[in-house]
Amino acid sequence: MGKYAAIFRIQLLNSLAYPLEFLGRSVMVMLFLWIFFQLWSVVYAVNGGGRMEGLRLHDTLWYFMLAETIELGRPRLAQSIAQAVKDGSIAYLLNKPFDFLLYQMSAGMGESAVRMGLVAFFGSAVTWWMVGPPPAPAGWLPALLLVLGAWMLHFCVNALIGLLAFVAEEVTPFEWIYQKLTFILGGLLIPLDFYPDWLQRAARALPFPAMLYGPARFFVQPEGALFWNTAGMQLAWMLALGSLLLLAYRGGVRRLVINGG
Amino acid sequence: MPAIEVRDLRKTFRTRRKAAGMRASLRALVRPAYQEVEAVRGITFEMEAGEVLGFIGPNGAGKSTTIKMLTGILYPTGGEARVLGLVPWEERRALAYRIGTVFGQRPQLWYHLPAVDTFRLFGKIYEMEERDLTRRISELAEAFEIRDLLEIPVRKLSLGQRMRCEVAASFLHKPQLLLLDEPSIGLDVVAKQHIRDAIRRMSRQEGVGVLLTSHDAGDLEALCKRVIIINHGQIVYRDTVSNLKRRYLTTKEVGVRFAERVPADFRMEGVEVLKVGRYGVKLRFDARRTPVERVLSGLGAWGDLVDITITDPPLETVIARIYQKAADNG
Repeated sequence: MGKYAAIFRIQLLNSLAYPLEFLGRSVMVMLFLWIFFQLWSVVYAVNGGGRMEGLRLHDTLWYFMLAETIELGRPRLAQSIAQAVKDGSIAYLLNKPFDFLLYQMSAGMGESAVRMGLVAFFGSAVTWWMVGPPPAPAGWLPALLLVLGAWMLHFCVNALIGLLAFVAEEVTPFEWIYQKLTFILGGLLIPLDFYPDWLQRAARALPFPAMLYGPARFFVQPEGALFWNTAGMQLAWMLALGSLLLLAYRGGVRRLVINGG
Repeated sequence: MPAIEVRDLRKTFRTRRKAAGMRASLRALVRPAYQEVEAVRGITFEMEAGEVLGFIGPNGAGKSTTIKMLTGILYPTGGEARVLGLVPWEERRALAYRIGTVFGQRPQLWYHLPAVDTFRLFGKIYEMEERDLTRRISELAEAFEIRDLLEIPVRKLSLGQRMRCEVAASFLHKPQLLLLDEPSIGLDVVAKQHIRDAIRRMSRQEGVGVLLTSHDAGDLEALCKRVIIINHGQIVYRDTVSNLKRRYLTTKEVGVRFAERVPADFRMEGVEVLKVGRYGVKLRFDARRTPVERVLSGLGAWGDLVDITITDPPLETVIARIYQKAADNG
């Protein structure tokens, strides 16, 4: 649909209006990567170098690079949606001829495209310099698909948290919990492979690994089984979270048109 | 077909009552107490296609609740409405293509981008043809005198320039009806004049109906033939703006300067003396009871006149008086 492409485009342009902020974010990524490089170097040295749970130092760093790209580039819509719900401005988005959720999704993608691009660019540069070239290009395209799937899950969770503003006064705590869960159960800071078995199993029962670990792990060791496994998880969770989101949205709008929010 | 037909439209909100004190708060957790607020209490009016109608009232009078119902983003509790022949809350999407809105307090332009980017976005959202869109932007640039502003990021424009772009954007998809909520809020006199001229010109040229809410009586005088005043969710006054002025603008204020000193005991029958200065006086009188010429000849008796000004009270005071009257009767 042309209108959603246009929304994507204008949000992309809007995101480019702040070059300094992006530069700041990119420098931050390089710093993160450098710190983790120091940390993992020590861990690997203590364990005699080589592989840990099948991952080399090189893999772990590239894993972290992609995981950071997803985390820093993911949609950050919860607050803006919550704000629109609370101050009633959501009503003024409803009297335009577009679908509110598709609007948010297109705008979110426009913003993420810029952010992910920059983080990946600067992140790759510094990772390459520290541990050598990225994994073989053959896995890049499927990895990108998994990143897109992960993005969709983040979008659903973000929008759901934002819509919670219909019933909760403040959504920041929910956002905080979600972020910390993705950090730990999504495997941002440590790849899930390094966790004890029971924790790995618990994490895999939740959507978080499909939102970070799956795409990043596939990127460093592109194996068909992992791709299909992750893609399947993403699809299943997209269905579940997407339906939940639709329900929440419809309920919210009903409340809005009847009681003015 | 009228642009807007509203019959006995009502809206009652149920809000949770917040009680004071610990015990009441705890009780409210278990069994919340609700309070009914009647925001709109049965209003009926019609607006012709192409008409510019003023819709005014103090804060909390039910203006924006009514407008929300007319755009379909709020269900009424009772009554009927048709906007451009559609029932707004049943056909919100279809209606959205045919109406334009400006909410003075909620900008639609993307703040960090040039206005033309938002224009192009709206063109896509309203599914306009590329060629029509380009031609339309050019027309509006002319009408609103914003050709030089379109390429500048909106954040760098003055408030007046920005509002001109906002209002122009709402005309983009050639709506048949425009809902303008406080389009001149916060603007200086010149900028207000600019916006009013452009709105008047465009609405005449294209036969667009405009429902205008404003706190600014100047907007009404400049744009509207008819005005509806609502208060406490009900229509308290409806008439032409000229009748409104004729009926309510009956008091006049006169300032006079004399060639000689004014005696301190200056007074005149049927006239209220507001101020006596050394060489001048300020008076107020009701023109229905005391004709203007009698006042003038009366003044001449006190000495040679050097200068004289006669002014009407501002329409704001008139409207305030109508609110007051409605409140006293209600």
